[in-house]
Amino acid sequence: MIDEAPASTSDPRQVTAPARGRLGAGFGLLIDRGKPLGFSFEGRAYRGYEGDVIASALAAAGQWVLSRSFKYHRPRGVLTMAGQDANTLVQLPDEPNVLADRHPIAAGLEVTGQNYRGSLEQDDYAWLDHFGRFMPVGFYYRTFFKPKGAWQHWEPRIRAMAGLGVVNKEAAHGYYDKAYGFYDVVVVGGGPAGMSAAIEAGKAGLDVLLLDEWSVLGGSLAYARFGPDGREPRRLRRKLMAEIEAIATIEVMTSAVCTGAFADNWLPVIKGNRLYKVRAGQVILATGSFEQPMVFRNNDLPGVMLSSAAQRLMRLYAVAPGRRGVIATANDHGYELALDLLEAGVEIAAVVDLRRDPPPNELTDAMIERGVRVERGKTVYEAIGKDHVQAVRLARVDGRERTGEPGAAIACDFVCTATGYSPAGNLVWYAGGAFTYDDDTAMHRISALPKGVTSAGSLNGVYQLDSVLADGRRMGWHAAHVLGKVEGAPPSAPADGLSSRITHPFPIFPHPKGREFVDVDEDLQIKDIKNAVADGYDDIQLVKRYSTLGMGPSQGRNSNIAGIRLVADATGKTPDEVGTTTARPPFAPEKFAHLAGRAFEPVRLTAMHHRHVEAGAEMMTAGLWMRPAFYGPKDQAEQLIALEVANCRGNVGLIDVSTLGGLDIRGPDAAEFINRIYTWAYLKQQVGRARYLLMCDESGVIIDDGVACRFHEQHYYVTATTSGVDAVYRQMLWWNAQWRLDVDIANVTAAYAGVNIAGPRSREVVETLDTDIDFSPESFPYMGVRQGHIAGIPVRVLRVGFVGELGYEIHCPSSMGEALWDLLVEAGEPFALRPFGVEAQRVMRLEKGHIIIGQDTDGLTQPYEADMGWAIGKKKAFYVGKRAVEIQNAKGEVRKLVGFTLRHDRDPCPKECHLVIRDDDIVGRVTSVVVSPTLKKIIGLAYVAADQAEVGKRFQIKIEDGRMIEAVVAPMPFYDPENLRQDLPGAERSPDEGSKA
Amino acid sequence: MSAPEGLTTLPLPADFQRRSPIHRKLRASDAVFGEVAGAAIPVRYRDDGEEEAAKELGIADLSPLPRLGFKGRAVLSDMNTRGVTLDFRPNRAFRQKDGTLAAVLAMTEVLLLSSLDGEASMLEKLDADWSVETAEGAYLVPRRDSHFWFVITGRHAPSMFAKICAVDLRAKSFSNLAIAQTSIARSNAIVIRDDRGETLSYHLLGDSASAGYMWDCLLDAMAEWRGRPVGLNALG
Repeated sequence: MIDEAPASTSDPRQVTAPARGRLGAGFGLLIDRGKPLGFSFEGRAYRGYEGDVIASALAAAGQWVLSRSFKYHRPRGVLTMAGQDANTLVQLPDEPNVLADRHPIAAGLEVTGQNYRGSLEQDDYAWLDHFGRFMPVGFYYRTFFKPKGAWQHWEPRIRAMAGLGVVNKEAAHGYYDKAYGFYDVVVVGGGPAGMSAAIEAGKAGLDVLLLDEWSVLGGSLAYARFGPDGREPRRLRRKLMAEIEAIATIEVMTSAVCTGAFADNWLPVIKGNRLYKVRAGQVILATGSFEQPMVFRNNDLPGVMLSSAAQRLMRLYAVAPGRRGVIATANDHGYELALDLLEAGVEIAAVVDLRRDPPPNELTDAMIERGVRVERGKTVYEAIGKDHVQAVRLARVDGRERTGEPGAAIACDFVCTATGYSPAGNLVWYAGGAFTYDDDTAMHRISALPKGVTSAGSLNGVYQLDSVLADGRRMGWHAAHVLGKVEGAPPSAPADGLSSRITHPFPIFPHPKGREFVDVDEDLQIKDIKNAVADGYDDIQLVKRYSTLGMGPSQGRNSNIAGIRLVADATGKTPDEVGTTTARPPFAPEKFAHLAGRAFEPVRLTAMHHRHVEAGAEMMTAGLWMRPAFYGPKDQAEQLIALEVANCRGNVGLIDVSTLGGLDIRGPDAAEFINRIYTWAYLKQQVGRARYLLMCDESGVIIDDGVACRFHEQHYYVTATTSGVDAVYRQMLWWNAQWRLDVDIANVTAAYAGVNIAGPRSREVVETLDTDIDFSPESFPYMGVRQGHIAGIPVRVLRVGFVGELGYEIHCPSSMGEALWDLLVEAGEPFALRPFGVEAQRVMRLEKGHIIIGQDTDGLTQPYEADMGWAIGKKKAFYVGKRAVEIQNAKGEVRKLVGFTLRHDRDPCPKECHLVIRDDDIVGRVTSVVVSPTLKKIIGLAYVAADQAEVGKRFQIKIEDGRMIEAVVAPMPFYDPENLRQDLPGAERSPDEGSKA
Repeated sequence: MSAPEGLTTLPLPADFQRRSPIHRKLRASDAVFGEVAGAAIPVRYRDDGEEEAAKELGIADLSPLPRLGFKGRAVLSDMNTRGVTLDFRPNRAFRQKDGTLAAVLAMTEVLLLSSLDGEASMLEKLDADWSVETAEGAYLVPRRDSHFWFVITGRHAPSMFAKICAVDLRAKSFSNLAIAQTSIARSNAIVIRDDRGETLSYHLLGDSASAGYMWDCLLDAMAEWRGRPVGLNALG
């Protein structure tokens, strides 16, 4: 019944190539023979069908070698045919470490092997296989670093050889995202147990998610035989699928992997490019079990595979595992496989039953009827072959790890093993469950599960099909019962007679020449595990780390149980006493893209944003906001900023200040509240006036500043810094939750757009506007605040001077901000108004000696050391941080923020954070510095030692090439020290001065 | 509420002082605007399929429409005194006789959304009658400018939200006129379910400065179901 499949242009060296071609009807559930596809492997063209995976299409063409092993570079091929081993890891152009037994082929797909030099068939590193005795267990820890300096020689070589696939840094980015899911019940595993559980829960009216990592439901029903009649599982599968289809509340997700289980039944499920964050009321784990390999010499040769792997190849992909095979078994499944092979027309050289007296039944009778050679009480002693198995030798089983003399070789081109299982319990571990080893079944069984999680099927230790279905129904009913949907007695659970005779307790057979692989990922043999114990690493956790058992890509799924048995044997403990290592998520490979995508990066734009872009602004980020740094090409930054400064100082400029924080403080206790939060005195602040604000935390450290505008006895409009307003708002709420003052605090930052129109001609511009506000200097003095309208737009106007020029901050509803900007730009045109950006503002504020919180202050800066003592209400009974500030002040300052210029004009301009050095000690640093276009010299702010702070004193700054330049403490402010630019007489610092924009 | 297409010119956002924060995006999507409540709102789009989209998955920008907020320790009783019908139940919305929707965000905060035709006489009166002297524990907050206002409509809306929001907004879990104050696409948001007849519909409000970002995130999330912008006319 073997069709002749399309031939590949394969290597003529494969003269002894095993069976090619596809099986006929009744095989190939997943493939569409009407849709052939071409792809390549290692540069050679192959063909398969839609639905094929890479490994099945290659196997159909006789290509069985898929990879080279990690340490010894031995040829490797299909083992599980379920993505549960590392033998099938291959490279795609844009993706390394792809599982060939799970990844579908596509037209034109280019596949190559990994971990070789030269070619997959002629690996230049294959000689390592002959030097195994120089790489004993744990040699990683004892080699390569002696004599001293040896590691520098070895490291680059090991790095060149290490790793598997190669990342393509030029690969195109894909679209990955996430979605939340909410279900009453999530059933993980779509085999017979999972399907039954989902149906039972769905019939109770619950929202059920049934998910399975395969592209179709059914699990083992899709490929296993479950008895002499191979049609029954397929019929049952169709019946269960029809029942699921008929229940509207069951959602089925195939090709979906649950990779973890976290608190409160939060499950990550990966399907394609999406990570689902699933929340379940109840979780039913029906993840089945992993078939376990036998351990004998050369059990890693291509062609040696699990019985379930052979069944998957045939039933799912219509590929025969070979032409003539040997089956080693310790349960009925080996006989079921034999019937499958006979049905497919494949010759069976022998069924080797490790049991001396297997119980007779229909399956064993069928072997007799069909004349199949059956060897009882024997094992496969060794597999023979170079790049593929060509024969085996059998030996009598004399006891644990003891065999009789091997017999003659039996020619074959494939070997299948069916010696038992281990529950696929990863999700149980992740969820916080536990296992114990059962000597009766020679398998682990669940001993504890967290609340809200149950298990069904072979994961639960149930193997007989009727019992599996009943177990699933019982767990579905239980979930419905917990969720209050059903009452009464649960469905019965017939006893399972199979589990106690399905797994051989010790299918491990040493060979004098070794190469009996316990862990094929890590190339670990029997002696490696025994030697680890002999070296003193006798705890399973230490064995793992010393030998790397279970640390490969398959994470011990095919090796841990054999390792536990060997450690138990070597230490005299029971497997239960040996215990297990800890399983951690993810269950299946998760790409960084799954975790990272879709990335959400909020951006905040002011109402005038597009006007800045249209005007050619170079935009910069300020937290989440975008702000214009300057207007014009980036390569002319310095000149453009200087022009903006000059225009503002000599004419009129306009800057968007919408990002600054705004808070409305209203209520009978508004003044008291402001007075407590900020350091200065506010109770007597007049309505219609603004006053500088300085905010400290409880340890007396400056955390923000701004301006308080009193619009009413019970209404303050408070400004804050762009990056500080959210924290200020939180602090206000937190404090008032304790003080319980009668005040409302509203963060209105986004509700208001704001501009600062500044410069000697700024009043002329605003006086041309249609407004009900009197902008005359008599009516609107410096530090005054007004409310009114400009061209019908309601506005709050603050006459403040952050940049040191006559100017007005105009705040309006943000939806009208663009209209306001346009009005001002149009009104300013006759006056050569020019917008200016953040950089020009920073220059001008520095010329005026105004600090920027977070730049000129740090996490320890107290008001007095920042020379802000004038903003402290010294007679106030309380402000936040008062006590700490006074204690610190009493101790005396260690450092002081001062203004400085350079002693020598030609010295290079230092940079922010360049250190102030005295006698080899760091005593301070530069916080702000610029070449002032207004003053034509370098000016800056720096922390210096307290005794260096007097005007005229000199100090040293270390610049980036290590040179020391000399700076001189300068009087502040640098520009307009008498504040004449504000049109007010007198040089005294006004009580309300120092306002911010 | 159709746009007066018989006239020689249709209004554009720039014709008004009050503008949606995303008016450029709307124009780029070929929106046809109509004047509502002193601003330009998309009443329809030039291409076909809006009516169907509103039933499947559509998004409308209502940001310029009137809305007010009140917050303070006495706000709920103050609202009742001023003629706003609501229960003292947070996270529920209450329809007023004139179509205004009163959303109780907390025992100390109410958000009032005008009806979709922009009828706002009730809101205007509340605004005009309020002063800080007589506030007594209920303070006006400028929600028309602090928040954008979108409506997401259609049967796929809950599935779309599931891509960007951790709250279960399915009809069976999130009842009509329920409110969720949560995070959507990493930004704070208010979601109010307000069905239009048989069609699922949700108001979405959030930081007005992030409106452009949120609009793009929503269109991206909607693409899977061919979701698209719809105008006021399609909302009925």
